[in-house]
Amino acid sequence: MDYARMKFYCDESRCIECDGCSVACAEAHELPVGISRRKVVTINEGIPGKEMSTSIACMHCTDAPCEQVCPVDCFYIREDGIVLHDKEKCIGCGYCLYACPFGAPQFPRDGAFGAKGAMDKCTMCAGGPLETNSEKERHLYGQNRIAEGKVPVCAAMCSTKALLVGDAESVSNVYRARVMARGGKGSNSPYGWDKAYKNQ
Amino acid sequence: MKKSIILFIALLGLASVAYAADSQIWGEMRIQNILGYGQEESWKLGPLFTMLQHKYFAWIFLGVLIGVPAAFFIHYKIIGPKVFPHSEKKYYAFSLYNRIIHQVAAVSFLVIIPTGFIIVFGDFFGGGTFVRMAKNLHGIFTIPFTIVVIPMALMWLKEALFNMDDVKWFMILGGYLSKEKKPILAGKFNAGQKMWYWVAILGGITMILSGAMMYFLDFKMEMLHNLAGMSQIDLLRAAAILHNVMGFIVLALFITHVYMSMFAIKGAVHSIITGYIEEEELKILHSTWYKKLKDQGKF
Ligand code: HEM
Ligand code: SF4
Ligand code: SF4
Repeated sequence: MDYARMKFYCDESRCIECDGCSVACAEAHELPVGISRRKVVTINEGIPGKEMSTSIACMHCTDAPCEQVCPVDCFYIREDGIVLHDKEKCIGCGYCLYACPFGAPQFPRDGAFGAKGAMDKCTMCAGGPLETNSEKERHLYGQNRIAEGKVPVCAAMCSTKALLVGDAESVSNVYRARVMARGGKGSNSPYGWDKAYKNQ
Repeated sequence: MKKSIILFIALLGLASVAYAADSQIWGEMRIQNILGYGQEESWKLGPLFTMLQHKYFAWIFLGVLIGVPAAFFIHYKIIGPKVFPHSEKKYYAFSLYNRIIHQVAAVSFLVIIPTGFIIVFGDFFGGGTFVRMAKNLHGIFTIPFTIVVIPMALMWLKEALFNMDDVKWFMILGGYLSKEKKPILAGKFNAGQKMWYWVAILGGITMILSGAMMYFLDFKMEMLHNLAGMSQIDLLRAAAILHNVMGFIVLALFITHVYMSMFAIKGAVHSIITGYIEEEELKILHSTWYKKLKDQGKF
């Protein structure tokens, strides 16, 4: 079977900074306080014409840098491009964060010494290496919506449909259609795609 | 002593600031990181760290781990150890204070270095609990080393300053390439030991600081950001690169230090345990110092 390559895209001209995606994510996966797998940021705040908001999480990169630096090799990349990791193997060294262009990996503090715990990041709602939809998988990685054929919760919840996720071709088509509708202005690939997907 | 305790408390204080303040990594700074990542005008530390860690660091560590002991093994087989009689007169060279400070540093290193290796070769050890434990020990044993590093720096500073003897010592590599027992010019510490002093002290402090940055991760130090002109995430990348590169040097000289004291000069290690050095050993390996002591009527 030929797998489609899954991608995220957030349309800055549609995002209204409602934080729906990050709240939906935190609730769906019951994330601990202080961890936001998805985060909405606003740049150029107050500058007319330049202010924009966008929603950021792990982009599930092509040739993912995080996977390249992990000293315990706990990452694995699914055939559909989703980048996942094994939290029981992870030692919380922080290297993946240093390598990541998007600041996606986060570290809840754990244990008596308050050391960095196992890394946490967006799974594109695809769970982890444990048995699909098992209690343990849900506890460690959150919901596995992909296995159930559902769209990741952030994109499903986005009221303006700024945040999209899907196979590369469909997402690119929507992107092109929107750029055309706006009169063809704007860059020729979505924000961040050059780094995440090397424009492939 | 006081200074290192203050430093330690300051670091702890920094940790609490870290949790209170706005995130320097996952907040608004995140956009700067994304925009700057690998760009022409940026430091390109993200791609640089990725490339170095992906392709080189573990191999260089492995090279040092195998290469340095291999060179010494050959040295041991061809030239062999220097053996000095242990029945002769001895000189009391290291006070109890010296020895305690040194032993705390020694024990710290004996934990820090192997655990550092376990982290570097974490995939070999399968990750998980064992490697996580190594990581925690690596951090915990940094604390005793942090406490003694300044006292150690001060107690041996005078003897560790380089002088003319050292040039001559380097030219014959301390006489370790010959079997002959000719007196070698050197004070209380020879040039090799001085080199280790500076690497252990300055390199050690570098390791403590870069390690602490990686440990605390999300702290805010305006001064440091301004000084370095880097964002938090780039500081962390720089710290990770520095910790590895300095790690190679500290490691290579640490192995050398152990080889010299345990094998190359048979039994030299006893001097830092009991405080006494053999007269013969002084006469040959630290002849300048020996002459001085003799003039003072110590022998
Ligand atoms: C004087 C020597 C050293 C000191 C004081 C020191 C200290 C530290 C500290 C405090 C950390 C942060 C630990 C944490 O995040 O929980 C760290 C991390 C690390 N150290 Fe060292 N270290 C030293 C030498 C070495 C050596 C020789 C190696 C390699 C053989 C090494 C490899 C590492 C690695 C790979 C990390 C990153 C993983 C991590 O953060 O746990 N270190 N070091
Ligand atoms: S965004 Fe970061 S964590 Fe996600 S795949 Fe890319 S490098 Fe890895
Ligand atoms: S924090 Fe975990 S996932 Fe990230 S590089 Fe370290 S061991 Fe790998």
